[in-house]
Amino acid sequence: MAKKFEINEIEVWDGNYAASQALRQAQVDVVAAYPITPSTPIVEGYGSYVANGYVDGEFVMVESEHAAMSACVGAAAAGGRVATATSSQGFALMAEVLYQASGMRQPIVLTVVNRALASPLNVRGDHSDMYMGRDAGWINLDAFNAQEAYDLTLCAFRIGEHLDVRLPVMVHQDGFTTSHKAQKVNPLQDEAAYKFVGDYVPVDEMLDFTRAVTHGAQTEEDWHFEHKAKQHKALMDSRTVIEEIFADFKALTGREYKRVETYLLDDAEVAIVALGSSVETARLAAEELRKDEGIKAGVIAPRVFRPFPFDLIRDVIDGSPLKAIAAMDKSAPGGAMGALFNEISAAAYTTQNRPLITNFIYGLGGRDFSVEEAKRILKEQKAHADAGHITTPIQQFSGLRGPKLGFFETKRS
Amino acid sequence: MSQNVPGTAKRGIRELGAETKVGWDEVTQGVVLDSFAEPVKDVAHIRPEDRDYSDFNSYTATVASWRVLKPVYNSDICIDCQNCWVWCPDTSIISRDKQMLGIDYDHCKGCGVCVEVCPTNPKSLLMFDTNEDLDVALSQWPEKKKKEQ
Amino acid sequence: MVEIRWHSRAGQGAVTGAKGLGTVVAATGKEVQAYALYGSAKRGAAMNAYNRIDDKPIINHATKMNPDYVLVIDPGLAYTDDITKNDKPATQYIITTHLPKEKLIARIPALQDKTDRVHVLDAIAISKETIGRSMPNTPMLGALMKISGMFPLDAFLESMKKVLAKFPQKIIDANMEAITRAYNEVK
Repeated sequence: MAKKFEINEIEVWDGNYAASQALRQAQVDVVAAYPITPSTPIVEGYGSYVANGYVDGEFVMVESEHAAMSACVGAAAAGGRVATATSSQGFALMAEVLYQASGMRQPIVLTVVNRALASPLNVRGDHSDMYMGRDAGWINLDAFNAQEAYDLTLCAFRIGEHLDVRLPVMVHQDGFTTSHKAQKVNPLQDEAAYKFVGDYVPVDEMLDFTRAVTHGAQTEEDWHFEHKAKQHKALMDSRTVIEEIFADFKALTGREYKRVETYLLDDAEVAIVALGSSVETARLAAEELRKDEGIKAGVIAPRVFRPFPFDLIRDVIDGSPLKAIAAMDKSAPGGAMGALFNEISAAAYTTQNRPLITNFIYGLGGRDFSVEEAKRILKEQKAHADAGHITTPIQQFSGLRGPKLGFFETKRS
Repeated sequence: MSQNVPGTAKRGIRELGAETKVGWDEVTQGVVLDSFAEPVKDVAHIRPEDRDYSDFNSYTATVASWRVLKPVYNSDICIDCQNCWVWCPDTSIISRDKQMLGIDYDHCKGCGVCVEVCPTNPKSLLMFDTNEDLDVALSQWPEKKKKEQ
Repeated sequence: MVEIRWHSRAGQGAVTGAKGLGTVVAATGKEVQAYALYGSAKRGAAMNAYNRIDDKPIINHATKMNPDYVLVIDPGLAYTDDITKNDKPATQYIITTHLPKEKLIARIPALQDKTDRVHVLDAIAISKETIGRSMPNTPMLGALMKISGMFPLDAFLESMKKVLAKFPQKIIDANMEAITRAYNEVK
């Protein structure tokens, strides 16, 4: 039996510590990890909880992140509650096994502290690791601050382990900006947190010796497609389960989460769509623009990046007088428009409203995103709205030194 | 007849890939395949021919048609060293109590590893055309090779 | 909103100091941020830590701030860091140095016109004499309490005891003495 950990009603925790406490409170059976900046303190924390008797589990040191996720898949297939953490290069090395975890329907929780991918080598936060894994078949939840990193990690176990879902879940938080920033966090006491997460219910576990099962079978064209379709449907259908569990969490804590978060949107004419901590900075920009300049600005933020809230994005766009949107991508787009721009645009294309949408690549390698820059971007959207067409290149770079960089023009209204 | 492999109603009863193809709504979650048709107890101590394998266990499938050449086993020469049993990649050498019984022709793909590793002189396993009659094959067995002077 | 920027070397405890301050402030019901930029930097490298304090939830996640207080806990950084970066007309500077205030200001051109907003103490010497090693973070907090008037000294000492509760009593006592001395000695 694990010892109870003394927790105050109000703690000052950074995102890493918050996530590690959530892993402890969920009484994770196995963490297999290869620590990497900036996510190291999450697994370091779990290791110390094991060593000091605060969790009844196993910390497995491995020789790489590929091995870490492989060990997680094995432990999950055996029938345990499993979690780990990674960032950036470590995430990239895990990539192959991420697809195994989701295809094998193992509800592993991966806390991802988002960090830029080399080259150039960089330890600071951007979303290139999150974007790299977006098609890996995992549920992707996105925390904008330390409190949310804690809350969503607890929710992740409930969501992934739900018998109608059984999929692995990533909980993203911004490297340094969230992971290393201490803020006020209202944690649950151990008992309440564990009661919310619940006992682990194994499915098809290999340690059930009365029912021998094969995991990780090979299928060729005769079976593969059907299995991937079933997996995709489970991911798409997880939307309702996510909403149910967010509702349960609200009933317990009063803290409300939605698949798409919106701020000041009811009467908004212009908006920023973003992920991560930038969402909060953009909110501040929208508030100030409304107060100081009378610009009706708002913010749209996919809380659940996968399954992508195509349905809710459409509702949001048709439910407001939006005329121009800036989709902010914190990942180098590699010869395309940013992923968030593409997905928001695809959803918007099937709306009545069809606002003008432009794309900003920003914040790469931890480049600071200021309130002033968010305001400038929103004001640019106001200029598009007033002109009735996009007045700048469709893709631009924000916060970049040197001559202005942008691609593609249109006068289409 | 050199074959004394235990028979079973379930071994190799269908061609691999001939199983009923179901739609996406009926496939198992996570490609998990049951090994046995019913719950089992202490199955490690039950011999394969006595196990109630499921339709998705490879035991019930046959890959005999993949074979071009087949190994033929000559029990008169075999010394039961178990080398072939150790090396066979498809667990198709059937042995009981360290006594070589023969070959599981439902799962043998004809790779010839067993022949390569057989230490006797002449070899106790030799490759023949997969359609060759076993008795005919045995009647063509070579003599012991004399040491060169 | 109060914004504080720490200039420190990795290993001098600026992050711990910023988090300790955050914990003390949060206990009063206010909202806080305590963060730092480091990572690949080794012990001794120049780094910044930051605090934001407000009555309402703080949603600005930009690293850049216009500090109300600049805390320099390494004497050398007063010369080599851009300590007046993004400052405001009212920004207060608290700098650890063995020099008298006038001598220090004479050597730092950026501080020439801010004489009345510059405060000095020798946090390094205080920490050596009380804690037993160079750990200028807690004395700097004592000086900040004096200059900002954020909390009365007694209340702050009580709160810091809780922050330091995991340490042996000897260390806690030494830190209390360091804070008190800094509070009284900052000029």
